[in-house]
Amino acid sequence: MTYRPVFRRQGDGSRCGWSNCGPASYAMAADRHRRGVDPRTPHGWLPTPSEIRNYITPHSCGATNLNQLDVATTHMYLVNMDVRYGIPWASFQSLIISGRGAVVQILYRVIAPTRFDGSPGFTGNHAIYVNERRASDGAYLVYDPLADGRRPGIPKGPQWWPASLLKAAAYAMPGTASGTVNASFTRDTGV
Amino acid sequence: MPDKPYADPKAPKLTAPIVEHKKHAEEVLADEKHKTKPEDLPDFDEANP
Repeated sequence: MTYRPVFRRQGDGSRCGWSNCGPASYAMAADRHRRGVDPRTPHGWLPTPSEIRNYITPHSCGATNLNQLDVATTHMYLVNMDVRYGIPWASFQSLIISGRGAVVQILYRVIAPTRFDGSPGFTGNHAIYVNERRASDGAYLVYDPLADGRRPGIPKGPQWWPASLLKAAAYAMPGTASGTVNASFTRDTGV
Repeated sequence: MPDKPYADPKAPKLTAPIVEHKKHAEEVLADEKHKTKPEDLPDFDEANP
């Protein structure tokens, strides 16, 4: 069975929480990358959004991006993921099927009208962690750091998103080459 | 950037043996054209509580 990391919510009460989709998604990806094994660095394990945030912007709540996050987790947890841009959907699917997880850039406007909406009214640029694909229906197990069940109607924890929804949300990310995905992939941890 | 979605004719079928997906994944990750961040790609936004 594919290793499943501990779910991390971005609204955990820590500094910059509602801006921490990137740190939270990367915390989960780092857990998957190492299959939960502590790298025994000076940083805490398991990874947390707040510790990654504090490494990137210790005195502000500025926006993050995949490259910043990868530098942080490489330093903190020896997790050097593969940041890639403009990946065709078929390639993305193949990478996930092959045994990798991925932090994926999406536009939340696509998610907002669905039952997977974890932040009513939010329609901006967002990061999620995708752990695996289910062969029976092609759905993807998505760890949306906004899906913390903090109110009725907000999903809680990992959810199986239809492939069509994940693809549409990734395609809609501004600045993305038409019909492609920007994502950061874990190592192949096996399936 | 192209106006139409990129295709990936080399991608294995979804039902192909996993060894084919692993091989293809390595090829995709090695492709230099996917390693450069687009200049107009924005950072992530702040969500609502």
